[in-house]
Amino acid sequence: MVAYRIGIDVGGTFTDFVAVPDDGSPILRHKVSSTPDEPARAVGLGMADLLEQLGEAPILTVTHGTTIGLNAIIQRRGGKVVLAVTEGFADLLEIGRSRMPDSFNLHAVGQQPLVHRDNVLQLRARLDPEGGIVRDSDDAELAATARRICELAPETVVVNLVNGYANPDFEQELAGRLARAITKHGGAIEVISAAALWPEIREYERCLVAVMGAHIHGTVKRYLEDLQRRLTGLGVTAPLFISASNGGSLSVEAAIARPIDTILSGPASGVTAARMHYPGQNLITFDMGGTSSDISIIVDGHSRLSTTTEVGGLALMLPVIDVSAIGAGGGSVIWPDLSTDQPVLEVGPESVGASPGPACYGLGGDRPAITDAYLATGMIDPGRFLGGTMQLYPDLATEALADATGQLGIVVADPATWAAGTALRLTTAQMATELQKLLAERALDAPDFTLVPFGGAGPTHATLLADELGISRLIVPDAAATYCALGAALAPLRRDYVHSVRALLDDATVAELQRAGAEILELGAAWLAANGDDPASGTVQVSLDMRYPGQAYELSVALGEIGLSDLASGRVTRVLDADLIRRTFNDEHELRYGFVHTDSVLEVGTLRIAIIGATVAMAGEEPRPRSEARPAPRTYRRVNERGQWVEAAVLDYGDLAIGAVTSGPAIVEHSDTTIVVPTGWTLQRLPNRDLELAKEGSR
Amino acid sequence: MTATTDLQILGAKLAALTEEMCLTLQRTSRSLYVKETADFACAIADRDGNFIAYPNAIGVSGFVGLNIATAVARVHDRDPLQPGDVIVTNDPFTTGGLSTHLPDIQMIEPYFVNGEIVAYGWAFVHISDIGGRVPSSVSPFNTSIFAEGLQIPPVKFVRGGRMVNDVSELLQRNTRTPDANEGDFQAMLGALATGRRRVTELATGQGVAVFLEASGYLLDRAAAKSRAALRSLGDGSARAVDYLDSDALSNVPVRISISVTLADGLLTVDFDGTDPQVQAALNIASFGTTHAWLTTRILGLVMTLDPTMPLNGGLMRPVTLRAARGTVVNADYPAATGVRHATASRVNDVLSAALIQLAPETLPAASSGLVVPVVVAETRGEREYVQVVEPMVGGTGARLGADGVDGRDSGISNLANNPVETVESEVCVRVLRYALRPDSGGPGRWRGGTGLALTFEALRPCSLLARGMERVSFRPWGYAGGQPGLPTRMVINEGTANEQRPSIVDVIALAPGDTVTLLTSGAGGYGHPFERDVATVCEDVARGKVSVAAAERDYGVILGADGAVDRVATEEHRSMPARPWGEAGPERERFDRVFATEVWDRMVRALFAGGTHQRNARKVTLVGQVLDALPEGFPRVAAGATAQAAAARQFERLVEALEQRTETKDDQENAR
Repeated sequence: MVAYRIGIDVGGTFTDFVAVPDDGSPILRHKVSSTPDEPARAVGLGMADLLEQLGEAPILTVTHGTTIGLNAIIQRRGGKVVLAVTEGFADLLEIGRSRMPDSFNLHAVGQQPLVHRDNVLQLRARLDPEGGIVRDSDDAELAATARRICELAPETVVVNLVNGYANPDFEQELAGRLARAITKHGGAIEVISAAALWPEIREYERCLVAVMGAHIHGTVKRYLEDLQRRLTGLGVTAPLFISASNGGSLSVEAAIARPIDTILSGPASGVTAARMHYPGQNLITFDMGGTSSDISIIVDGHSRLSTTTEVGGLALMLPVIDVSAIGAGGGSVIWPDLSTDQPVLEVGPESVGASPGPACYGLGGDRPAITDAYLATGMIDPGRFLGGTMQLYPDLATEALADATGQLGIVVADPATWAAGTALRLTTAQMATELQKLLAERALDAPDFTLVPFGGAGPTHATLLADELGISRLIVPDAAATYCALGAALAPLRRDYVHSVRALLDDATVAELQRAGAEILELGAAWLAANGDDPASGTVQVSLDMRYPGQAYELSVALGEIGLSDLASGRVTRVLDADLIRRTFNDEHELRYGFVHTDSVLEVGTLRIAIIGATVAMAGEEPRPRSEARPAPRTYRRVNERGQWVEAAVLDYGDLAIGAVTSGPAIVEHSDTTIVVPTGWTLQRLPNRDLELAKEGSR
Repeated sequence: MTATTDLQILGAKLAALTEEMCLTLQRTSRSLYVKETADFACAIADRDGNFIAYPNAIGVSGFVGLNIATAVARVHDRDPLQPGDVIVTNDPFTTGGLSTHLPDIQMIEPYFVNGEIVAYGWAFVHISDIGGRVPSSVSPFNTSIFAEGLQIPPVKFVRGGRMVNDVSELLQRNTRTPDANEGDFQAMLGALATGRRRVTELATGQGVAVFLEASGYLLDRAAAKSRAALRSLGDGSARAVDYLDSDALSNVPVRISISVTLADGLLTVDFDGTDPQVQAALNIASFGTTHAWLTTRILGLVMTLDPTMPLNGGLMRPVTLRAARGTVVNADYPAATGVRHATASRVNDVLSAALIQLAPETLPAASSGLVVPVVVAETRGEREYVQVVEPMVGGTGARLGADGVDGRDSGISNLANNPVETVESEVCVRVLRYALRPDSGGPGRWRGGTGLALTFEALRPCSLLARGMERVSFRPWGYAGGQPGLPTRMVINEGTANEQRPSIVDVIALAPGDTVTLLTSGAGGYGHPFERDVATVCEDVARGKVSVAAAERDYGVILGADGAVDRVATEEHRSMPARPWGEAGPERERFDRVFATEVWDRMVRALFAGGTHQRNARKVTLVGQVLDALPEGFPRVAAGATAQAAAARQFERLVEALEQRTETKDDQENAR
């Protein structure tokens, strides 16, 4: 009997479900409206529907992506946290890294700290940079601190000592002593050691990891427990997994223990789906939503992880799938800048939001947005927006766009189309520019990549972006609008570990790295087992942050990927080899920056080890038919391509059998998105059910 | 004419490519200042030397108004630029002020398309050391540019794609940090190469004519938007003066005077009444232009008024600047310029003080007004290690409707601090405290941002450098009844027998166990502090920003032993007049009673009417004579009313004598 892996993604508007069968047959999809006040309700409702569709079929796993932790941080709505820091550093979170978010705004404000100073306590305990104990906190001090904590009655306490990264055991033990002192005062409050949670150098950023985690701990725990209860109530006995920000997943117990690992799982899941479907390829994922467009770059099947993300204006040093905003979304405002006597049209950064939304929503908004431009240029059908669930009003879009043109004093035959076309050009150029910058940082070229659009507007805008960048191949996933849910279902277990060294690369350092590496492998194997995976099927990715002494940034260099099967301490030794490290670093430096200092010593920063569980089987492929059928269009409609009106064939997604081919100009209407195939592009349905778009003459 | 949309798109691409240049530079640099504090920038200039594209969110933003034309012409006139050439320079006086002090190494590359220059790439890095009297090259006590290191006039560093080895040999022999510098030079060349690739792509793709048209369009547009923003403030004139604590070599303050006039979006900034250039390294080589260091606050103002403002050299076009040669803000060769940022900080807040009278709802009260890189230098073996412990700033001024920001100030440069853990793993210090400084924020209905407090202990013998220590005497002013912030303090070995409280630091030797404490000034408040919401005062107390004593003294809020507000006592206290001093603080009030603004105006006029030489020396002698009759430490230390009145009379007499001498001299010269 066919068994299924279920993936769930909770978005602002919809909660998406996919069921991936283990026999290669097509994926089942389902969508319900989200219930933002109580997100688990929509999950429960949708699950019930999906289970009915699946009948008696067994369920292997349920994997869930949630933004509940992220929202709690953005809105500063999580639980109360008390922070205990080394004496003299009570303002650690207020001062941060001291930079203002905007250099030139005289009215700029600093970020709101997650823990205000009245909830920050100071401890005498102090470490030196080697982890040696300069001073310890005695029991009397801990008792007094515990008393104060009980008065403040937080949900969680975080301990963060200066130089804690150099001796996490000491800090962990201190946290334990403090917890016991709290118990003596009749309290029952969890005490977390920041260094034990994430032992990386930089006291502010490390503290934030722990404080953010503590802040969302209760919210995430209550939500996941509630969700688990609902699933059990529906008779689901399969284990529940939670998507992680690093592109993997973890058990519900692990997510409750370390909720911070799940915080940016939403965007990461879509990237995972692309990476798993097209292994070894160069891909750029393009997720265009209401307020912004997000991209992620996959090189040779590898996603880059970022350690400099921001969450709600606060730095996050944990490795997360590197997703960058590159510009406008469907709701970005198109506006005439009338501040000078030579007015011009501009797009964004302001967004009309969901309410009143673009002018064409008919909800009272009179400012045109990018969605209005799609409508005015014929790219989308007013009757089929969001699967026909929302009627759009083309007259309102035209009126608002024409008004913008009129305000600019521009006289043209068709002012609405002029504004729409100009806005799309500006937006596309802006996106392409930002994307090119990201590629250039890594010495990559856009034409070497395949663009993978998903999200509501991604497939609509993707060919515009591809043309601007010289990209000649696109993959529009079969599950474009539920790609994040699919990625959740496919994500393997994954956990990242770090060990900060801060030393010159010499024999002693290599020995220290090998010792730490072996220790992490053991921890990782145990973690995989505890999460229900067989450690023997796991893999290990080892990388090391390094630099030439005095250099601005450390460069994170991948040293290799090994199996976890034979508890590979010996293999780690082979990967963490001085010569290999030096050579790999110099090669990478040459590639990225165009020069090396071969004689220079190297400074080793942080060892990073990812423990990854077994890869999940993908949906299978349909046999490729002999003929490449050209389905007959349902109808034709006028579409404006760079100022020229063309008659585009309109096809229904369901008409595209495997192997079917069509040439632009064409529009493919899908239940939850519109795929635009411009003149000069052809489209073909692939055996894995995705759509491939290729620029003619490119192959 | 090319469609505006195409020009807009080119503008966006140019701006992005400058960021790409910065990313290349930042990731490859090995310099102390690039490392964590982002003291570098890259940009693209048009053929007239104006920056047409400048990065928005990376590097030093304030240099957008600089111009590279003088530096380019100096090389080109003698040795025409060819493809593959790169100019290097660090000299303020042969570049029209492009470089603002010697450690800022500038590189310029002409970008050729079809045999003609279409644009220039520019990169600069504040390198670790360029020689001179002290490690890291910069000290207020340098009295001429010759003490500040190697002066590199614009010369070719790369010729036709090949390094000019003679030049690099010379540069590398004149620094304490050749390895780090080498890395920085490579990083700049890498950034310029990135720029060259992209500019060539754009100019080739669009056509050179369109590219050049876009250059002009982008500048015109920024100029028009900037003027529109300034026009929104209406018309009017105002003047303000403020002082630097001293000229570092004497106890005599340095006055900055600014008159602003707004008329239909055109802003005139006149430095008439500003003191002569000084011997210490506080001078700005602006050449009397709308130089970056004299206009940073104006840049902030237009960007605040219109956040969609494009960042390029056109922004300053509606601004006319007047600054006489030989003033501290338009210094002549061979003035020392190393610590020019201290003067720029003061200029910034004097601009605010003048403009706030015209736009009280937009501009904030004075910021803390200082940037002090606290540097420790240690000799290990044959090498000297120089490390910034923390770049110490203060907070931002309060404004109508909002408190200032505590412990952060992007006033002249948006510096990131150093993680204490990184510092301790690299230099021989243990940081004992790095925190906000309680009670330092200027009391007001809206409170000024607090300063910072840093205390560290030396673990091995080393030396301390702390340039730019300002606002020790004259506090950051409040506005509309708002009080000034607390002044800056430095204490060595606080609470011990050998405690010292230096008001200015050159190089101080530290022995193991010595502690250094720097408390930076707080920013000015806005509105009367007794009008501050009582609950907000209580929150400040709970968060350690205001002490219980200061809540009573400064805000009239009386807290009981249990921390609760005594409503009756508070109401009573707040109904009484409170202010012990006005918006500028007691030191400034004392100072003004002796040194009246109009008399100082006359002194400056007389100094400039006389010969060009010894202006500062004559001023120091004159003012020093008056100060000598007052208690030591004046105006930090109070003087009796009689003594002040006598000093004021003496000041006026001395100025009169100076005026007569000048007139006599003029007569003699006329007679000749």
